Amino acid sequence: MSTHKKAPSWRSLQGWFVEKLMDHQGGISPLTPNQNLLNASLPREGALQKQDYQSFLEAASRTMIRFKKPEHLIKMIVKTIDDQLKIMHTAVLLYKEEKKSYILIDSKGTTGLKIPVGFVRLSADNPLIEVFSDKNSFFISETGILNYDDIICGLRNRSILELQPELYDNLLGIKKQMDLLKAVLCVPCYFKKDLLGILVLGEKISGEAFSREEMGFFVTLANDAAMAIANAQLIENLQQKIGEVKELYVREHRIFIHTSIALAAAIDARDQYTHGHTERVTNYCLSIAKELDGVPEVAHYKNFRETLQISALLHDVGKIGIPDYILSKNGKLTPEEYEEIKKHSIIGATILHPIKELSDVANEVRHHQECFDGSGYPDGLAGNDIPLVARIIAVADAFDAMTTNRPYRKKKTVEEAVHELKAKSGTQFDPIMVSAFLLAYQKGNIITNNYNGKNSNPL
Amino acid sequence: MHKLLVVDDENDICDFVRTFFKDRGFNVFTALSAEEALSIAKKERPDMVLLDIKMKGMDGLAALKHIKELDRGIKIIMVTALEDQDKMREAYKLGACDYITKPLILDYLEQTVLKNLKG
Repeated sequence: MSTHKKAPSWRSLQGWFVEKLMDHQGGISPLTPNQNLLNASLPREGALQKQDYQSFLEAASRTMIRFKKPEHLIKMIVKTIDDQLKIMHTAVLLYKEEKKSYILIDSKGTTGLKIPVGFVRLSADNPLIEVFSDKNSFFISETGILNYDDIICGLRNRSILELQPELYDNLLGIKKQMDLLKAVLCVPCYFKKDLLGILVLGEKISGEAFSREEMGFFVTLANDAAMAIANAQLIENLQQKIGEVKELYVREHRIFIHTSIALAAAIDARDQYTHGHTERVTNYCLSIAKELDGVPEVAHYKNFRETLQISALLHDVGKIGIPDYILSKNGKLTPEEYEEIKKHSIIGATILHPIKELSDVANEVRHHQECFDGSGYPDGLAGNDIPLVARIIAVADAFDAMTTNRPYRKKKTVEEAVHELKAKSGTQFDPIMVSAFLLAYQKGNIITNNYNGKNSNPL
Repeated sequence: MHKLLVVDDENDICDFVRTFFKDRGFNVFTALSAEEALSIAKKERPDMVLLDIKMKGMDGLAALKHIKELDRGIKIIMVTALEDQDKMREAYKLGACDYITKPLILDYLEQTVLKNLKG
């Protein structure tokens, strides 16, 4: 019963293929015949042989999924078949979306018969493609393979010629295409209902016919290859989608930052005495943050720099809820008015709270007026209970307030303001933030621009 | 028997096209360069040349010009991977009778060769 007496046997092909799949993920090494496999005892008939076959297929399909480039897999399949089965030529046609046709992407074989890679293409209306697109076509055997012999049989059948001339023409068309490719077998690679490619096999050098098992093997290889190809295409599409989403995110993000800047500018515009305040505070904050590299607390933020930048831009957003007569009062505030103005940090947090993406920012805005010793507002938090970004803003905010004119007092010089920060380190301000500020100041990274209400605001 | 000269710097393509047209009753010559093509054209006076464009040394368009100077009766079909409108226009201007881009449909190649040999 066994038809495996001729070397290389069906079984050695299986073994060789599994071994190659296990050894090389995606690449092909020069073929060195494995003596152990070639000398392996011939398969016994019956149950054992069937099991070998199945375990081979399992191993093959498991590994094929790992091929990132389907071209590698296809090259390997072609090489394996060509080397092991001694066929005149082997080739693979693969569908290329951009050309809307099936292009020959790999081939091996005898001089003259070997179809050069990239030379030939088949359009979708080619009879050879159409026969596979219509899966119910009865030219195709139950294995799914198109066999040249079956086409010849069909053409010799008088009843087809007489009763179904269209079918006869179709058969002629297919025969012509198979002649062009010198194909004996065409094995389709389907994924779901799509024909991804065709494995084209020429005659065996020995002239023998292909056995049923060999054909079964081709079908399984083709199906697994289709899975791997579809997989690789899916990954490629996904990567493209990820790129698109990233780009979209960057764009949206830019819009978001610009919206924050616009909002900050709106607040600044209302308060003529603090013109440019938000931009300066934001710049001071970023300069301080540069000196905080490696501070463990920074790592608690998902995106520290961004939270800092947006919180700094929006720290005074709550001033929208403060009456104009208080904000623009020309003179010292009464205790009641001062209580009113203190509400701006809570109002700011309330405004930002509904924006889910800004929940961090809302918290920082709420606490930017807290003092390190717990004497600040609104919640009287102390030390590290005050969120980090709020502690940074507190220093930057105070420095800008001191170095700009207010209706009720003249501005301090930068040196005086720096001295004041040092004096209040540990009471009003976190000493670490003050140190970071001083480092930035020494490096010349604290740049004070005095807009006296005249300069245009670059925001 | 029609004489056909196949010019392509890829050996596989020359071999394949030679076999393909030999099976269809042609007397086929092959050349791996434009220079070689010119000397074969001089000696054999083929009815038709299938000419690649991008080759080392002299390119296909220069070869086209030289072959046409040698004998205007030799019909020349450009077979190239270059989908370039300028090259195509130049090829037609220099007297090529057709321009086929690779990867090609074999049927179409055969029909184009037969059609131009008749015409």
